[in-house]
Amino acid sequence: MNTTGTARRLIRPCTLVYLVLVLLTVATWAVGTAGLGGLPVSLLVLAVALLKGHLIGDWFMGLRSVRGIWRWVVAIWLLIPGGLISIAFVLSDRG
Amino acid sequence: MTAEERLAMEPGVGVALDEREPYPPGDLAIWIFILAELLVFGIFFAAYAFTRLNHVELFNHYQLTLDRNAALVNTLALLTSSYFVIRGVVAAREGNNRLCARWTWAAVAMGGVFLAVKTTEYAHHIGAGVNLSTNEFYMFYLSLTFFHFMHVILGMVILAAVALKAGRGGYSEDDHTGVETGASYWHMVDLVWLILFPLVYVMR
Repeated sequence: MNTTGTARRLIRPCTLVYLVLVLLTVATWAVGTAGLGGLPVSLLVLAVALLKGHLIGDWFMGLRSVRGIWRWVVAIWLLIPGGLISIAFVLSDRG
Repeated sequence: MTAEERLAMEPGVGVALDEREPYPPGDLAIWIFILAELLVFGIFFAAYAFTRLNHVELFNHYQLTLDRNAALVNTLALLTSSYFVIRGVVAAREGNNRLCARWTWAAVAMGGVFLAVKTTEYAHHIGAGVNLSTNEFYMFYLSLTFFHFMHVILGMVILAAVALKAGRGGYSEDDHTGVETGASYWHMVDLVWLILFPLVYVMR
């Protein structure tokens, strides 16, 4: 019996990624519902959002199977607004 | 078809360096469009964050008037629709038009859930007298989410066109670029919401 093949048939990689995305989404919602705030929490929530975006790019959009600049196009996009949002929240915390 | 061959049909799988494709799945034109859209949304997000810088109390106060439960349902609806779209792409790559159509219609239905929930949110706020001029927070909330709302509608139209063509047997193992093109656009809509949700509803 090919157990590896059986395991692969049981859960597809895209299904696993989907479940991880759902879990991270519920965690983000729980942070908001609990009323948690402040700079560390906000940056953590943003980091989780960027990770989710990267998973979407890699596994859902299929960029993991692409080479060159196209491989990183979503990751680069995530880092630019992600960086700007982080700077704005750090400045607002200091202000 | 073996389990390994089926697995290789999935986006992101089969990634040995020398096996990687030079371009992303779908028509290259949609990717240029996607990049333009991402640029606009990126500017919008940065504008929100830097405007908040001068109105922290106001943004934190009015953020509490938003319905996070509705946002959770909408995020899960978009994630689920994206998952259905992938299953549709895999079915198209296997030459199974009927299955592709079913998954894609299911994705359209989840998009419908998003629109219904978002419309309820808008009705609540507008009923309470909120508009673009109410304050800076609502200006961003309404304009940013409505801009995204319009993209969801366009995405659903594209997916419906894909589903209709699949239903007529319009794709094959060798010719399914249309499915991948529609899927790429829909994933972009999902991607943008994954940043919008924490930024507008949670981060404070």
